[in-house]
Amino acid sequence: MCRNILRNVRSSKEERAAGRKQEQMTDRIPIQCIIPPHMLKELAQKGSPKQRDLALKTLMVSERIRGRREAFAEVYVAPAVGVKCIKVYDAKHGQGLPGDEVQEPGNSNDQAVKEAYDGANATYDMYLDVFERNSIDDRGMCILSSVHFGENYDNAFWDGRQMVYGDGDGELFNRFTISMDIIGHELTHGVTEYEAGLVYYNQPGALNEHMSDVFGSLVKQRILNQTADEADWLIGEGIFTSKVNGKALRSMKEPGTAYNDPVLGKDPQPGHMKDYVRLSPWEDNGGVHINSGIPNRAFCITAMEIGGYAWEKAGRIWYIALRDRLRYNSSFQDAANKTYQIAGAMFGEGSKEHEAVKKGWADVGITIKKK
Amino acid sequence: MLIQFVRTGGFAGLRTAVTLDTDTLPPEEARKLLEMVDASGFFNLPEKFPVPTRGADYFVYRLTVEKEGRKHTVEVSDPVAPAALRPLLQSLVAYARK
Repeated sequence: MCRNILRNVRSSKEERAAGRKQEQMTDRIPIQCIIPPHMLKELAQKGSPKQRDLALKTLMVSERIRGRREAFAEVYVAPAVGVKCIKVYDAKHGQGLPGDEVQEPGNSNDQAVKEAYDGANATYDMYLDVFERNSIDDRGMCILSSVHFGENYDNAFWDGRQMVYGDGDGELFNRFTISMDIIGHELTHGVTEYEAGLVYYNQPGALNEHMSDVFGSLVKQRILNQTADEADWLIGEGIFTSKVNGKALRSMKEPGTAYNDPVLGKDPQPGHMKDYVRLSPWEDNGGVHINSGIPNRAFCITAMEIGGYAWEKAGRIWYIALRDRLRYNSSFQDAANKTYQIAGAMFGEGSKEHEAVKKGWADVGITIKKK
Repeated sequence: MLIQFVRTGGFAGLRTAVTLDTDTLPPEEARKLLEMVDASGFFNLPEKFPVPTRGADYFVYRLTVEKEGRKHTVEVSDPVAPAALRPLLQSLVAYARK
């Protein structure tokens, strides 16, 4: 109960993820409720809206329990919110992970180290400040990044524990830390693994990719202090060398237009369900990096319709969907229905935000289905 | 020897593909490719490797080799690709970019 002050109530999700629960239990201390009522009252008056709500609920429950004089066997407290732990390692062009830890990565002269550190910080800060999430697992997990992975390695990935960045081949690709949205993208794969658990295949996999692009782009927009109208909505800008005819890897605003190059080919992303690409399971896990263009464009349209900073409203709607409503096998249609429901609950039925979500999905060929 | 190679996925989601016939390659290049195929124990590799249960943005490879009347296809993704196969995969990416 005490942890409800700082945490969200997610018992059903925790029960679903039995394996994960075990992991989470280890960082809680089973003790009796120790947060005194005066602190709860303080929180109820001065905390953030969520803290106020949770403190009030806890107070009500505490009063009831005090009346009954019941004893607790198991009540847990969470680690303190806001304890930031960010580490950067140097793989030194090998493929062993994580590599050697870099001391004071924030002051490093190594561009990749500094970018990995700054990007992880900016992403951590956005999740905490905007979405009240404490790191990848929402329990303050240390964020690990390895740079200089492999030789001429043209990729960045999340390995289930940490982020990994190659230096690129220098011919076509620059280093993969060059664009902050790539860092936000990789870190968000971790968040998705802890939350919706979207399986990395076909539509759930494309939604997994979509969520990483959304929050990756929001990290960049927030650092640049850009409104939805001002943002370029590009993913991986600067990753291509000058030899490539392309501005970025993906465009959330206009999928399919990011690059068109004699060697690399043309950006294959669709921006509408009528152009959905069906691929064999082995090919990009059924097109997870391709069909993500469809929900990406839906998000971009929603954010532009709402106006202002995209992370403030559209981002919150999508975050709640990722955290609480989407499941491992969710489809584009599920994502559309859930985000629409959430927008209605958060901003009111028929509100501008509610209608914006509807339009976003309609413009990519998905009609909201109400229950 | 015929080689068909496709790499997909990765953060960029790019498709990198090449088909090679060692009969049409300079002898030295053909010899190196044959050596790499032999060194990887290609015809003894499983057709499908287990798909990683965690992680994202890995490269996914599909490689078919036809040699002396035998034909074999292997599908594998980056973290589980055997070390003995990596030099061949890396070399084929370079061919695809030529």
